[in-house]
Amino acid sequence: MEQQPYAIEMRGITKTFGSVVANRDVSLTLRRGEILALLGENGSGKTTLMNMLSGIYAPDRGEILVDGQPAAIHSPEDAKRLGIGMVHQHFKLVDVFSAADNIWMGKEKAGFVLGKNRYEEIAQTARRFGFELDPKKRVRNMAVSEKQTLEIVKVLYYGAKVIVLDEPTAVLTVQEIQKLFGVLRRMKEEGHSIIIITHKLNEVLEISDRVAILRKGEYITTVDTASTNEQQLTEYMVGRKVDLNIDRPVVEKTKPLLEIRDLTIRSDEGAVAIDHVNFYIRGGEMLGVAGIAGCGQKELCEAIAGLRPIQSGQMIHKGENIVGLSPKAILDKGISMSFIPEDRLGMGLAPSLSITDNMILKSYQDTKGPMVNRKKGKIRAEWVIEELGVVTPSADTPVRRLSGGNVQKVLLGREILAAPNVLITAYPVRGLDINSSYAIYNILNLQKEKGVGILFVGEDLDVMMALCDKIMVLCHGKVMGVVHAHKTTKEELGLMMTGALDLTNRYEDKPAGFARDTNIPPQQTPEKEEE
Amino acid sequence: MRFHVVKRDSCPLWKRLALYVGAVAAALVLGGLLLLALGVNPVAYYSRMFTMGMVGNKIAYKSFENYLKVFVPLVLTAVALSLAFKMRFWNIGGEGQFILGAVAASAVAFQAGPVLPGAVTLLLMCLCAMLAAGLYGTLAAALKVKFGTNETLMTLMLNYIALYFLTFLGETKATWNFFLDPTSARPIFVSFAKTVSFPRIPMGKFGLNVCVLFTFAVGALVFVYLRSTKQGYEIAVVGDSAGTARYAGMKVNTIVLRTVFLSACLIGLAAAFKVGTAGILSTNITDDVGWTGIIVAWLAQMNTAVIFLVSALIAMLQYGSDVAAATVSQVDSSFANMLQGAILFLVLAADFSTRFRVVLEGKGGRKHGA
Repeated sequence: MEQQPYAIEMRGITKTFGSVVANRDVSLTLRRGEILALLGENGSGKTTLMNMLSGIYAPDRGEILVDGQPAAIHSPEDAKRLGIGMVHQHFKLVDVFSAADNIWMGKEKAGFVLGKNRYEEIAQTARRFGFELDPKKRVRNMAVSEKQTLEIVKVLYYGAKVIVLDEPTAVLTVQEIQKLFGVLRRMKEEGHSIIIITHKLNEVLEISDRVAILRKGEYITTVDTASTNEQQLTEYMVGRKVDLNIDRPVVEKTKPLLEIRDLTIRSDEGAVAIDHVNFYIRGGEMLGVAGIAGCGQKELCEAIAGLRPIQSGQMIHKGENIVGLSPKAILDKGISMSFIPEDRLGMGLAPSLSITDNMILKSYQDTKGPMVNRKKGKIRAEWVIEELGVVTPSADTPVRRLSGGNVQKVLLGREILAAPNVLITAYPVRGLDINSSYAIYNILNLQKEKGVGILFVGEDLDVMMALCDKIMVLCHGKVMGVVHAHKTTKEELGLMMTGALDLTNRYEDKPAGFARDTNIPPQQTPEKEEE
Repeated sequence: MRFHVVKRDSCPLWKRLALYVGAVAAALVLGGLLLLALGVNPVAYYSRMFTMGMVGNKIAYKSFENYLKVFVPLVLTAVALSLAFKMRFWNIGGEGQFILGAVAASAVAFQAGPVLPGAVTLLLMCLCAMLAAGLYGTLAAALKVKFGTNETLMTLMLNYIALYFLTFLGETKATWNFFLDPTSARPIFVSFAKTVSFPRIPMGKFGLNVCVLFTFAVGALVFVYLRSTKQGYEIAVVGDSAGTARYAGMKVNTIVLRTVFLSACLIGLAAAFKVGTAGILSTNITDDVGWTGIIVAWLAQMNTAVIFLVSALIAMLQYGSDVAAATVSQVDSSFANMLQGAILFLVLAADFSTRFRVVLEGKGGRKHGA
């Protein structure tokens, strides 16, 4: 039975970066026409391993066999020639080029002149695999899912038989994920072999034939998907038993802490990013914000933190207006915002500075005199390292030397130490593995139990449904409704995220997003002002 | 044969030092080969250069005084530039700011020198030079803050405006032009009054110019400023991530303007020290410290203490090669520039090897995998 050679076989692959071993003696097999899920925590070496397959890195030791033949993959061109294509987590596309030109520029024999026929040729490739792709559309005008489609078409155009997808579902909605999985199944039927990297166990179980697991750079095992379950996969991945339930403690809710009325914000490009939004957060409540990436989440967070001017509307904290206050003044009122952007370091932390220096980022002005007091920072840094289990050589280590999970713990730790009463946190577990994610959920729950009102901007609907009390869904800057997290379904949320379902008027007895026991006196409400 | 570059985890201090010293030595060897090709004995040349002609010289103290005249403007400019560089504001306008500072100081020297006491004049020269240079530097910062212009281009172009302004002053014979010698028919700069010169503290025959003391004091202040003050902390945060600084409630624009002003001010001070010691303006008053200062600041990786060390070395190269050129006629004093370039290049290579190592992809690497 085993006569047919593997499409890909990696044997004894070792790769080190300095003293860090990213992969140690890893072996992996990929059969023809199968979907293999590659599973592992952050830093377990999944992406490194795949980068060696696609020629970005060269292994220190070990060999790669393609169709049973030893292959020397020294560059992405070598990989392309061998029929291996990779869709990276961060798309490698030129924004100002059209779809067709993004594919075209990798073609060596394309000649000197750009021919008109390139559009037709690319469109044909797309159609052949059942994709909808406008070859003339510029990448900058594309939605995230379109960009991903383009990346896949690009790989297929160059005749890849083996396709590696690095966390392709992280940026997609539920409906888009289903569409992608449909495409993958069709590709599999045509004889393509696929390796998919993902953190999400339910997706692994749904799409893959086999699962290969890495832990801390080492190969653990490969199992048939049909004979495994989430619990077992987690244990392989983490190395011990893990409780997969997310707690949702019930806390006595207090009066509204933060009330947002009729808020409109523009994006950097001048488009309306948040469109007449109403909502409120109570103490001891976690309000989730769901939505496709770029639906105004960032602008909303920035506006509340005072980092972005608003067009119109009210932001009332404990009955006091915070519109127009400086970021520092808003901070002093106890509203803390932490936003983890896609690059994870862009906002909130100074990567080259030490943990200690990052701890005092928001409070360095509070001491008297011209000198910086680092003693407090040191104490705080040590508290965060101790309490949140940050893995670091010392409190003086620059933040950029830490791994993603530890960076996020440092950021969240600082926000909590500021003892906020409203905690706004966007994508706090972005890119984190299960262990670190659960540590962060715990931190947030402890804050909620202390009576802090939490706005949780997230991506993973399963997590939000388990963790949050209520979920507000944004679509193109508009609120599509606020639902109770334990009553809703993923499908309902997905429909709301795409704008197909609008539940804002579900409660007819009061205006949507207005608290009954509001702190805003009636004469301050916009309706009265207009009269 | 293939090779690839692998990142190092850490590099012990002794190894780093050894690499840097090795790089300087390699540059000297390179220069030595060049000297040999010119028919000059490199050992003799280098010994003359590094002792700056002080050995066996009856007026060795004079040599050291002159060496300090090269050292002071260079180190002060480099320290000033490091302030802006720490904030990742690429101020390459040190030349222009220096020139404006020098012109302002000279104007004060000519106008106030004859009427006010020497000490007051000198103080006024320093203040005016700092203000002129500071505002000139802030111009580029203001444009960046207001319109998002590129500070590298702006400061660079402002250099030429300042340079040609100085040339204009030096070549325009007119009644208003008090910078020039009225008794000469040709346009030449005139010396300041004798009272307008920084005093020297006599130590035997050697006189220590007070500027040297001030320079060390400024160096110490900047060291503390960057390391332990709130403003220094702000500079580090803005330099690392402006987005984070804004998020932390810092007024980024104010910080940029303030820091660039301070940086340019100190360059102005260096210029005042220079003209106040030379006692005369000239078209090449800067001695290229605006450029050399950039190299020094980078070689020292913006560390104030190291800047003093590197400046001492570079000044030694520059002044020493002048001295050596006086005795070895085949070698021009620009030899120092070549040597300086070689040192910079090789130190950067050493810096690279402290962070990365090159691994050959030979048979040895693959054995275990098979």
